[in-house]
Amino acid sequence: MSRDNRKKKIILPRFKDKRGGFLNFADYRKVSNRIGYGVMVAFLILFAFMAVFPIVFLFASSMKSVSEITSATYTFWPKEWDWGKIGRLWERFDFGRYYLNTFVYVIGAVICAVIFNSLLAYAVAIVKPFGYKVINALVFLGYMVPTILNIFPLLQEIRDFGFLNPDHQSYLIFIPLWLGFGANAYYYMLFRDYFSRLPKSLVEASSMDGANQLQIFFRVVLPLSKPIIGIVAIFAMTASYSDFLLPYCLLQASELQTVVVGIYNISNINPPLQLPDFLLLIMLSIIPQIIIFLVFQRQIMNVGAGKGSKE
Amino acid sequence: MNSDERKKKRRKSRIKAAIKRNLFGWALMLIPLALFAFFVWVPMLRNFILSFQDNYFDQNFVGFANFQAIFADPAFLKALGNTFLYILFSLIIGYLVPVILGFLLSEVFHLSGLFRVLLYLPCMISGIAVVFLFSTMYGDSSTDLFNVIAKAFGGEAHPWKGAPNLIIPLIVLAMTWRGAGSTALIYLSSFQSVDDSMYEAARIDGASPWQRFRKITAPSLKATLITLFVLQIISVFQVFYEPLVIGPKGGPLNSSMSLLLLSYLYAFEDFEHGKSAATAIVLVLIIALFTLAYRLLLRVLNGETGNKKRKQK
Repeated sequence: MSRDNRKKKIILPRFKDKRGGFLNFADYRKVSNRIGYGVMVAFLILFAFMAVFPIVFLFASSMKSVSEITSATYTFWPKEWDWGKIGRLWERFDFGRYYLNTFVYVIGAVICAVIFNSLLAYAVAIVKPFGYKVINALVFLGYMVPTILNIFPLLQEIRDFGFLNPDHQSYLIFIPLWLGFGANAYYYMLFRDYFSRLPKSLVEASSMDGANQLQIFFRVVLPLSKPIIGIVAIFAMTASYSDFLLPYCLLQASELQTVVVGIYNISNINPPLQLPDFLLLIMLSIIPQIIIFLVFQRQIMNVGAGKGSKE
Repeated sequence: MNSDERKKKRRKSRIKAAIKRNLFGWALMLIPLALFAFFVWVPMLRNFILSFQDNYFDQNFVGFANFQAIFADPAFLKALGNTFLYILFSLIIGYLVPVILGFLLSEVFHLSGLFRVLLYLPCMISGIAVVFLFSTMYGDSSTDLFNVIAKAFGGEAHPWKGAPNLIIPLIVLAMTWRGAGSTALIYLSSFQSVDDSMYEAARIDGASPWQRFRKITAPSLKATLITLFVLQIISVFQVFYEPLVIGPKGGPLNSSMSLLLLSYLYAFEDFEHGKSAATAIVLVLIIALFTLAYRLLLRVLNGETGNKKRKQK
């Protein structure tokens, strides 16, 4: 902690270094503006606290014992840390299996999201075959209408394919879940906008050289598209991790359920799980997401910011 | 003669190339289009037809009976009204917070990276985990977090999520907690894209910070504000997990029921597929209306700025 403080002191920026933005070093010569800056920092700390507090609350409550969480005198942190509880709950619900299933789901979803949406976007943005505008409009229609809305007919459709045999479900049931990510209007639009912004001369030059369209896609367009592939992959990764309704309807065998579906089903078991134990399971379910975020934080937040500048 | 033949040849090869290009394009699109058909278009079409039928399996056409039935159902009317309450509260609670956050993030230069990470963290958590977490905090027992806080400030225990008039604001609070960080980043980038030289010029002219904000910052934010206004309204139509879990199932007394959740419950609990589909159609119509209004608004605004530019020239 103290070492951190020392570090902070060394890199602490000064007012005179603030060159751009709404208020800069010239404004901060005034005392009133410096006070205003202090107020802004205070608000930011307050907001950051509100953002993090529920997560810390979740962690603290999940480590409490049942008698402690229902006791009349409230303490934020547990009096006794029962770390063994994690292992016991993990074993009871075979939580590793949930993680494994989620992993399987996420990998397939990312692959499908990248391949199929980029193929369609490439065809519409660069090859432009007859009727591409109609296709584009139809896909946009899917962007407006949330998938959940048509989930019942979709489920029947999948059932008609014979994937849904409740007696012996296998990992085949993940196929419709994966492929669903291949038909995502938002990812398609991200790819399409990116492809249409690629320099036309590049594509034309390579077609002059006698490269056929498939070669252009693999040798010219794909290598240039690494940033957008990364963006869609990250989106698909977080979306499939949190995806609930379709997996909930399809994954009926408990050996095949993902973390999110498992959590929801556990919330309905009888007799109900003790509150701290349930909170601990939620904590376990969000830890991979927090780790993913901390590893890819720069990419993820750049994507988040880029979303708006596209408009 | 010779040049004519050459022209013909060239035209032939051009036609050949065009056919090749078209075939290739459609070959590329074949699988993705099949996926879109399977996952989006066919279910959508099927739902549309279903809204005029009694149920999915018998497929007897009943005309507008489903629409009459849902408009006679108090739960549907409640959900329709709730939709507008959701919009209202999401605008009151959730609309300005990301703007303020975006501004603070763009101006505060101490530990800016850390603040960004902390504020974005909630966006990473799955919707289901968020609703269970907030559902716990909103509990009615005196040991649940909101009551503990209320007691610490000298208040009395309150049912919170059990109170029909509080449930929608509470749900919107949970949605805002999860969504504000990512929206704030969008505003951050539009605050940062304001040209520094404009601020500099205003500063030299002696404009006060408030004048600068009104004349430079606010106008450059207008497009983002409108876009996110509409996106927020459209996203509110898709409220689903929150009333499902926190309510639960749209409770108490349907006071948190949303159209999407009702459509789901019609189909999966009451097995009234026709009513479910009719509800879906109503929701699609409302979303389409808002999208259309948004496009018109953008066109009007763009037209205005376009005219101004022309006049200046």
